[in-house]
Amino acid sequence: MRDIVAVARTQLATALRERITLFWFVLFPLFVLALFGFIFADIGERADLSFRVTVVNLDRGAARGNFGSDVLATLAGLATAAPGGEAPLLELRVPGEGADVRAFTDAELQALRVGRRDAVVVIPDGFSEALVAAVGSGSAAAAIEVHTSGGRTSSEMALRVIEQVLAGVDREILVQLGQFDAGRAVIVDQAEVGASDRTLAYIDFLVPGVVLMGFFVAGLFSVPGTILFGRENRVLRRYWVTPLSVPRFLAGFGLGHVALCALQFAGLWLLGRFAFGSQVDFFRPLALVYLALSAATFLAIGFLVAAVARTANAGMAIANIINMPLMFLGGLFFPTGTMPPVLRAIMLANPVSYLADGLRASVGVSVAAYSTAASLGVPCAWIVGCAVVASLRMKWDVGR
Amino acid sequence: MTTEVSEMDSPALMKVSNLVKHYGDVRAVDGVSFAVPKSEVFTLLGPNGAGKTTTLEILEGIREADAGEIEIFGERVRRVDRAVKERIGVLLQEGNFEPYLRVREVLSLFASFFRSARSPAEMLKAVALEEKANALVKTLSGGQKQRLAIGVALINDPELVFLDEPTTGLDPQARRNIWSIVSGLTASGKTIILTTHYMDEAETLSQTVCIMDHGKVIAEGTPRELTSRLGQDTIVEFVAPAEAGLPAALGDRVRVARGEGGLVSVTTGDLVSTLAGLLDWSRSSGHALAEMTVRQPNLEDVFLSLTGRRLRA
Repeated sequence: MRDIVAVARTQLATALRERITLFWFVLFPLFVLALFGFIFADIGERADLSFRVTVVNLDRGAARGNFGSDVLATLAGLATAAPGGEAPLLELRVPGEGADVRAFTDAELQALRVGRRDAVVVIPDGFSEALVAAVGSGSAAAAIEVHTSGGRTSSEMALRVIEQVLAGVDREILVQLGQFDAGRAVIVDQAEVGASDRTLAYIDFLVPGVVLMGFFVAGLFSVPGTILFGRENRVLRRYWVTPLSVPRFLAGFGLGHVALCALQFAGLWLLGRFAFGSQVDFFRPLALVYLALSAATFLAIGFLVAAVARTANAGMAIANIINMPLMFLGGLFFPTGTMPPVLRAIMLANPVSYLADGLRASVGVSVAAYSTAASLGVPCAWIVGCAVVASLRMKWDVGR
Repeated sequence: MTTEVSEMDSPALMKVSNLVKHYGDVRAVDGVSFAVPKSEVFTLLGPNGAGKTTTLEILEGIREADAGEIEIFGERVRRVDRAVKERIGVLLQEGNFEPYLRVREVLSLFASFFRSARSPAEMLKAVALEEKANALVKTLSGGQKQRLAIGVALINDPELVFLDEPTTGLDPQARRNIWSIVSGLTASGKTIILTTHYMDEAETLSQTVCIMDHGKVIAEGTPRELTSRLGQDTIVEFVAPAEAGLPAALGDRVRVARGEGGLVSVTTGDLVSTLAGLLDWSRSSGHALAEMTVRQPNLEDVFLSLTGRRLRA
């Protein structure tokens, strides 16, 4: 064990003393977080995200119209792809014909609670009548219940979208009823499921992504770079004539790398929290598991690159080639639910997808698209595969 | 590793028999055999490309031989494994350290690889790098880096030390420092296998010299034994623009060779007659005998007599 710890300390010391490594390990991820934090702070206002919303219409209408159906139709319109090919804003679910509406609603609220829906909208029985009465008497507006999941950014965003939609519907209804004043007839009666007193923002979606990106860049580029340049400069050669074995060297190197990732994570967490007000809570057991698993997965991929590349330049080329599909089809920065089928197929084999999904879900900033077993199992499979190949193929010296 | 207890009872710490190594069509090591006596400096001497380093790398476990047998510490081994590596120390001809590590950290790192190791402080003193203990490797001079490399090679207090070209590229002062360390190791009873293409280094440090050329051992013995093969010859060297007519002027009993920079080397068994002949030749040809020296044969002359080429050609 002494040798493993010593190699880890060496890895840590050299990385912290070398400016280039320090930049890529610590400063670059902080820069990316700051850049994305400033540029995309209002991303939730734009229709480039898709939200899973359930609408339950219990309204049976009134003499002057069925306004609940109007609200449902308007929301359904947002669930249709635009002619220009833009993805629909909403993925809408409604109860089927003859379904037990109460049971359906309960099931959907449970789905919202566990993160499989972003909002559940319930148009109550008597909504149209209340609306007509409200307009006629100028009394309190009719309410639509919008259930959201407290503490989830996607749910917060979905609520804002629904509020905007209802504001538009409100105006149309007023026109239908012959009222042209600026008052509101429909209001949102919001209820949180799994409520939290926290208000999340896009930065909360972003921070886990940048943390993973930092781990990813460090694993994919820094790991093979350090090993391959060490090999070319005949540094690793000296280990070869000692009892240190390749697996023990990799274990020590990996331990040092994980320690560096921990430092990197600390920097990102501090920046996100104190500069951008991120409320993401990474210090939950499952989130910590995902963080460790992420560092280990990208480390293993880095080992694989170092093992198969003959030169440092070749290693960097390989890293660049696999960088694009892994990082940009992994949902680090943007949701991937609207991607074409071919790209979604790549995503299914991409450990980044599972890690990003699992980490975000574990810290409560988004909905888990994959099961926990898949999110833990697929990266583990990558680690085992990469580690086995790296242990067998890693060379201490050039051309040996 | 497959090992079997040797049936031989030998005082040699290492024995090599018919070692062969090919690189494609090139036979880099061609049936090399030798025995390394315990507590001696055993030197593989030869020009670049003679097969010294390949031989050494096979013995260090870096490369695998195509054929041949290796017996080390009394056991026949197919491949140098962890158990053997615990007992050997290696100074590689080509090898670097992490530039951003401190000298003390390098020694601590390598000490951690062995079950038993000397303390970094002890090694710093042994290789005279105490003042550089906290210096980054990248700030060391060539000689200091080489001393650090020797410190690393000795960190496990090895019984057998491989020193591959330990002074190549170093200035004279640094070379003498390394020689001093190697002499100290010999005095403490270490067995050393040294490779070099410096004749003076081999003569100064070695008890046994094994001369290699084109992958083969062409001579082996103590430096005195090897030079005595040239008999009682004396060598007269001088610089002249040409040596035309010289063999005729000196007779059949001398050998005349021309080296780099106009150096003419005359090997003779009759120094007085040869000097007289040289003076006559100088007067008649008009060539001065510039920088003339008279000396006894050395290993370079042995190599020259065996191959017709100079060691550093």
